[in-house]
This record gives sequence, structure tokens and C-alpha cells, in this order.
Amino acid sequence: MPAELRPPMPAGGAAAHGASVVRRFGRALAAWHWWFTLGMSAFAVIAALLILTPWIVPHDPAALDLRLRMAPPGSEHWLGTDHLGRDVLSRLLEGGRFSVSIALMTLILSIGIGTVLGALSARIGGLFDEALMRIVDLLLSFPEVVVALFLIAILGPGYGTLVLALTITGWTPFARVSRGLALEVNARDYIAAAEVLGCRRRFIVLRHVIPNLVRPIAAISFLRFGHKLITVGGLSFLGLGVQPPGSDWGAMLADARPYMERMPLLAIAPGVTIFITALSVTMIGQGLELSVDRRMAARAGRSPAAGRSATDAQAEGGER
Amino acid sequence: MIPFIVRRFVVLLLTLLVVSVLCFALPYLSEADPARSILRARVAELAIDADAVEGLKARYGLDRPLPVQYASWLGNVVRGDFGYSFTNRMPVGDQIGSALRVSATLALTALAIAIIVAFPLGAVAAIRPGGRADNVVTFITQSLVALPEYWLGPLAILVFALHLGWLPSAGWLEPAHVVMPACVLAFRPLAYFTRVARASMLDVLNAPYMTAARSRGLSVARSIVAHGLRNATPPVMTLFGIWLAGLIGGAVVIEVIFAIPGMGRLVYNAVVNHDIPLLQAGVVCIVALAVAINTVADLLYLALNPALRASRHAG
Repeated sequence: MPAELRPPMPAGGAAAHGASVVRRFGRALAAWHWWFTLGMSAFAVIAALLILTPWIVPHDPAALDLRLRMAPPGSEHWLGTDHLGRDVLSRLLEGGRFSVSIALMTLILSIGIGTVLGALSARIGGLFDEALMRIVDLLLSFPEVVVALFLIAILGPGYGTLVLALTITGWTPFARVSRGLALEVNARDYIAAAEVLGCRRRFIVLRHVIPNLVRPIAAISFLRFGHKLITVGGLSFLGLGVQPPGSDWGAMLADARPYMERMPLLAIAPGVTIFITALSVTMIGQGLELSVDRRMAARAGRSPAAGRSATDAQAEGGER
Repeated sequence: MIPFIVRRFVVLLLTLLVVSVLCFALPYLSEADPARSILRARVAELAIDADAVEGLKARYGLDRPLPVQYASWLGNVVRGDFGYSFTNRMPVGDQIGSALRVSATLALTALAIAIIVAFPLGAVAAIRPGGRADNVVTFITQSLVALPEYWLGPLAILVFALHLGWLPSAGWLEPAHVVMPACVLAFRPLAYFTRVARASMLDVLNAPYMTAARSRGLSVARSIVAHGLRNATPPVMTLFGIWLAGLIGGAVVIEVIFAIPGMGRLVYNAVVNHDIPLLQAGVVCIVALAVAINTVADLLYLALNPALRASRHAG
């Protein structure tokens, strides 16, 4: 994590002297906005559960037990069983691995492709730049779900299809931001100064350009994550994402629909899980912004008011 | 200005051409035998015999090379003829026409709701940035973005249609049918509109000239209405354009849940039934609409913003 994103460490040599590790940790934590802390903790718990799923899953998520259909929560099945007698908790865990890993994969691919193409576009300019920006414009106004449906029609449903579909529509905001920043940064005086001083190009990129990119890219990523999670779930809800007997939060909601009244927990559990996961990541992003704002405000000696600019918010708001 | 419009128009046509080739060719290239898949959409796999496949190929002209098929398809499309659906054999053009109307109504209603709620919310948040109201609004917008519509939709049906009986549960016959899906659909754009409205109102409310105006006695309410709203309108309108293009066709989940015969459900059905003409036409129409709305929004933005117009014209 670059220095840009680190919140203020409380000053005070005397305190640091005798402070225990716990107290120092607590203070570092307090330096962050509480939204960040809360979002981070929630997401850490979810991520840990999903990573550990193969070892901690209480039952086989696909195992049917028709004698135990729609059993209420109990000591054997903590969240009860669904309409086919499958353990809800196990299916939640397995389904989370599907949606969350797809969201993460597409995010990583989108960041990679987007930043590289955007930076290249700024550097090459001319026709390449024009063409790329038109493509970005087009994809930005294009419903992601339709791209996904089209690709599913061609390639058939599956993990790879979903990643491909979400990446095709997902890289554009990153390309836009990285192109804009690359243009802006290249025009800065300190870049010219570094060039005059004889710094190598690679040094300039690593030391000046990339640190400037981290904050806006992180901001978009945190916002996009929840969105991708919900889209994956939506496609599974339509029966075009995960295929049975696999599990996914969206597919669980679709399964639960006819039984919502008889057993509300079947619909509540996956819904709340999607909500909390998506919200925790958004809160990390927002908390990060607020922490940085607070530090910058403290440095500039004004109240932490401004928040992000209108153009930032607009660039993010275009994402469906 | 004029050269810019002409250039945008040429780009628009080129884009549409490329997209139409992709939409036409990809479904055919992926299928080993389109005729067979058409028959599969109609009857069971076992009932397909070679005669039927050959007959179908000849009837739909599927035995011709792909570029020839594309040329004749494009020629028909330009004249408004999208061919016939493989599954229900109805003219695709008619189906798309009515679906577009339905989806446009739904999307416009949802976005109108979003805008009506977003401006006051954004204004309340912008009055005291970092204050309690701001925090509450930010939290609400974040929660709305994180709420999956395929959870809210069935829940809303359960509560408002089945238990309270206030609204019809699904379908598309009377105005009451619009209410529930439009409200659920409005949540996410509402959140983004609010963020943008708040941010652009902040920009102007914190400007030095506003401090000066306020010190000369301009009231908070007036500063928000006269300056904040005015500043927030263009960015929100840009977003409106992007969302309109996205929701016509992109509201698949909502349209399926509420059984609304719109574009999203049309494309969804085409995918599920392997109905290639319907899929091609649906996707081409959605893209064309998105590109057109995008271009119009750009030009409007340009017309409304003289500073930008001068720079774009020069560049």
C-alpha cells in the first residue's frame, strides 16, 4: 500500500515508547474512518469463511435429503435445509466462492486491461486514442447483462463465460481514469523536473505515475465489486450463471422464491449475505476516501468537508 | 460545431456496422448447425431428421455463405424487416417494437422517480458535508447499491401484492403494473444520482463566490435552489442518458420477475430458446439505441456548455 493511502499515524513519541502492541494497533485503527474498519472486518470474516470452506463446510452442499425438506434451523443444520433437503449454510458457503471469486477475477482482469490500455492510449494518441475512447463510450452505455446474455447464448453458461462477459464491460472505467491521469500527470512540472534530472522512464512511471493512479483505481474497484457480485447473482437467478448442482447466492434466491412464505429464511439468508458482502466492500472504499480526505484536510488546515469531486462521482455513477 | 457533428455521425454509423456484423455472425459461428438448433428449439432432439434439417436450411436460406446471408439480412433490417422468430414464427420487428415501448415506459418511470428523490437527498447531504444528514444519506445510497433487485422484487411482490393487496403482482396491462417494478428499478440509479447531485452541489456551495453571496444575505434555501440545483442538473442529466440506454434492455431481471414483456425479457427468452433471429435483432436494437442515446446526450451536453463546445471544436 503506497504512502498516499495510509491514514495519519497519531504523533507522539512518548506514547509510542511504552505503548503495547495492542494499544498501537488500536490507535492505528482509530486513525481510519470507522466505515473502513467496519467494512474491512466484515469482509475479512466473509473472505476467511469462503477461503476455508473446503475444510469447515458442515455438509456436502449438493447432498439431497428428501426426508429433511425445509427443516427449520437446528443443531444439525444451523440455517435449516432448502426445498430439496440440502444444507443452507453449506450452500451459502459454496455459492459465495462462486460469486465472490468471479467478481474478484473480473475486477483484477479489468484493472489490468483497463489501466494498460488507458495509459497506452494516452501515450500513443491519434487514431488509436480516438478509436479506444469511442469503444469505451459505447461499452459504457451498454447494458452489461445483455452482453452477458449474448455471450451465454454463444458460448453456453459457465464460469469462463461470466468472467469474459463482465470483463468486456468492466475494463472501461479503468481505461478512462488511467488515460486521463496519464495525460494529466505527464503534463505536471515534477515529471518534467524528473526528466531534466535524468531519471529513467521506468523510475518515473513507478515513482510518480503509478502512485497517482492507485487512489482513483482503488475507489472505482471498491464500488464496482459489489456491483459485479450482484450481476453474477442476477444471472444465476435467471438460471444462466451457476449450473446445478452447483450453488450461488442468486440461484439460491431463485430456488427460494416459491417457498418465501412457508420458509422466509431460505430467501433471507442469501439476500442478506449478498447485501452484507456488497455493502462491506463499498464501505471499505468510502471509508478509505474519508480517511484520506481527513488526512489531507488536517494537512491543509481546513475542515474535512469537500469529499470527492463531481466528476469523480459521475465517472462512477455511470456504472450499472 | 458542424464538423464535429458530422464526425460523430460517421463514427456512429461505423460503430453500428461493426456491432451488426458481430451480432449477426457470432450466433451462427458458434452453432455447428443453425438449422438443427432451430429444430431443437421446436421439437425434441430425437425427432429431428435429416430431411427436416435440409428443408429448413433451404427455406431460411441458411445454406448460403455467411456474408451473403448477412448482406440480405442487413438489407431487410434497414427496411425494418427483422425476419421471423424461429420459435413462434411471428415477425421479429413487431415483437421488438412493442417490447421497446414497454421497456421505455418502465425505464423512464424508474428514472423519473430516481431524479425526483435524488435532488432533495443530494441537497440535504450537501448543506453540511460530513454532518449527520450527510452520513445518513451516504449510508442510504451505499445500501441501495448493495441491494440485489432479485431479492427486493420478490419481497415487494410478497408484501405489497400478496399480503397488502395494494398492487398487482406481475404483468403489464394497466398503469398500476408499472409502480412496483419501477420503484425497485429506481433504487440503484437513485443512489448514483444522489451521489452526483451531492458532489456537484458541494462544488458550488463551497465556492468563494457563494460564501460572498451568503454573507450578503442569500439564504441557504435560495442558494441551493438557485445555484446548487443549477450546477447539479447537467451532470445528473448526463447520467440520466447513460442509465436510460442501460435500462432499456438491461432490466432483464426485473422484467423476468414481474413478467413484463419488455426488451430484457425478449433477449432473455431468445437466449433460453436459442431463437437466433430474435437474439440478433434484440441485441442490435439495444446497442443501436444505446449508441444513439449516447450521441444525443453528448451533443446536448455540448450545446449546453459553450466552453466545452469551443474546445471540442478546436480539437
